[in-house]
Amino acid sequence: MAAPATEPGARAAGAPTPALLVRSLSHHYRSTAGDVRALDGAALDVEAGEFVSLVGPSGCGKTTLLRIAAGLLAPCQDAGGAASTVEVFGASPDDARRGRWLGLVQQEPGLLPWLSVERNVGLVAEIAGVAADVPALLKRVGIADFARHHPHELSGGMRQRVALARALSHAPRLLLMDEPLGALDELSRETLRLELLALWERDRVSVLFVTHSIREAVLLSDRIFVMGERPGRVLAEFVVGLPRPRGEELVSMPAFVELEAGVRAALGGGRAPA
Amino acid sequence: MSGKAPFAGPPAGRGRRLAGATVLARAAGAPLLALAVLIAVWEAWVRLREVREYLLPAPSAVGRALVDDPGRYASAAAETAAAAAGGLVIATAGAMVLAVAMAHSRAVERALYPLALLLKLTPIVAVYPLFTIWFGFGLWPKMLVAALITFFPTLVNAVVGLRSVDPAALDLLRSLDASPRQVLVRLRLPSALPYLFAALRISVPLALIGAVVAEFLSGDGGMGQLILIANGDLDTPTLFAAVFVLVALGVLLTAVLAYSERRVLFWHASTGDV
Repeated sequence: MAAPATEPGARAAGAPTPALLVRSLSHHYRSTAGDVRALDGAALDVEAGEFVSLVGPSGCGKTTLLRIAAGLLAPCQDAGGAASTVEVFGASPDDARRGRWLGLVQQEPGLLPWLSVERNVGLVAEIAGVAADVPALLKRVGIADFARHHPHELSGGMRQRVALARALSHAPRLLLMDEPLGALDELSRETLRLELLALWERDRVSVLFVTHSIREAVLLSDRIFVMGERPGRVLAEFVVGLPRPRGEELVSMPAFVELEAGVRAALGGGRAPA
Repeated sequence: MSGKAPFAGPPAGRGRRLAGATVLARAAGAPLLALAVLIAVWEAWVRLREVREYLLPAPSAVGRALVDDPGRYASAAAETAAAAAGGLVIATAGAMVLAVAMAHSRAVERALYPLALLLKLTPIVAVYPLFTIWFGFGLWPKMLVAALITFFPTLVNAVVGLRSVDPAALDLLRSLDASPRQVLVRLRLPSALPYLFAALRISVPLALIGAVVAEFLSGDGGMGQLILIANGDLDTPTLFAAVFVLVALGVLLTAVLAYSERRVLFWHASTGDV
């Protein structure tokens, strides 16, 4: 186990407001079989303009953490436990939601099947009350030719591109991505991962990226937080010092391979997913 | 991209439509042949056994009754269709309003669902005399019978439909702080459409039954009255002709419904050729 020298996500005093700050976050779900502890004192942060990944085994509470950060789920306050802190640019997730600061991409694209691609993307800007250049957005994610198609006419990878364009359409300050490539076949996944990398390196919007692919995390991120399961807490933090712009050739570099091995070891050796 | 570019539909659109016509011809061919054989056997049976017309008229006699006075059937059918369609419109509108309230509030649902169930269990026909006291004769009491009979299936399906939204799409709207009205209009109502059409498939024949029964009871116009009069005169060919016209009316309404379902729900798996 690679125990980090400092507490995961320790911050220097006087640093600029982080895009996302999570401290001593605990949460449990009630179920018929009793309470399930999803998160126990999880801590991480995302600096403004930083791409941060959160990796961990399935069911370790990654999604719960992201949903709390998105203001979709309220953390339960433990009696006697430390008060949890979740801040998006210094504000509560609910305020971030109201300010339309958040972009959300989940494993399921969640497109409205009765709307065309361009109207799906335009809808978000309309709800957020901002103007969006939909054709430009579609061009950026490589689906300009499919503007008038409907979701059922697209492949899974295409739909996820639409979801990405939609999440970017109101210029969010923090992009929350929960296994966005998780439902795709391996080939689309590799292609999309590289496109996401190129897209992000141009815009540098703050990102929290939940994944269980170590390779994806190392390739894309500035920093990686590793979570353990039951109860979910952050075990380790890695700084990915690889130069940008990055590309596919990186994966065979010794520094990349070494980081991959380090993250895998932190995940707990044999239990780490391939 | 020019906004006016014609939609480049599915590549095999035209070919698919032609294939569709062939499939339809093939599907309809066998039952039509069976029907022709049935009519021929019926005609032969009546002629050879010299069956009395008031017991069982030959198909040719039924056809003559239809051809002798087509206007009589047409106006009666129009009256019945108006009562059935009017009832459907009333029931669907009322059920949707109530379903929206029930889908938004479990308390409203708990309060009103038993009442709706009570309505379902009431033999509406038994209430009809009341309707004539309240509304007299004419279209209104007939529409009300058709509406009350079709109300419950529509309500149940609408409530389920309004609740069966894609959770990923709902998360997205919530992450944008969409108002309840936006969620209703943009997500819940369109999501309920497939369920509404499923309800209409049940309701269309029910509404026709309701209208005809109301006409039986009131003797006031429509196919029900036509059948009553023919029955009184032992005019069996007219009686048969009236039944055929009612069947044709049912087929027509169902076909119109199926057509609009395909147009409206082009995005839904139930209508896809995939």
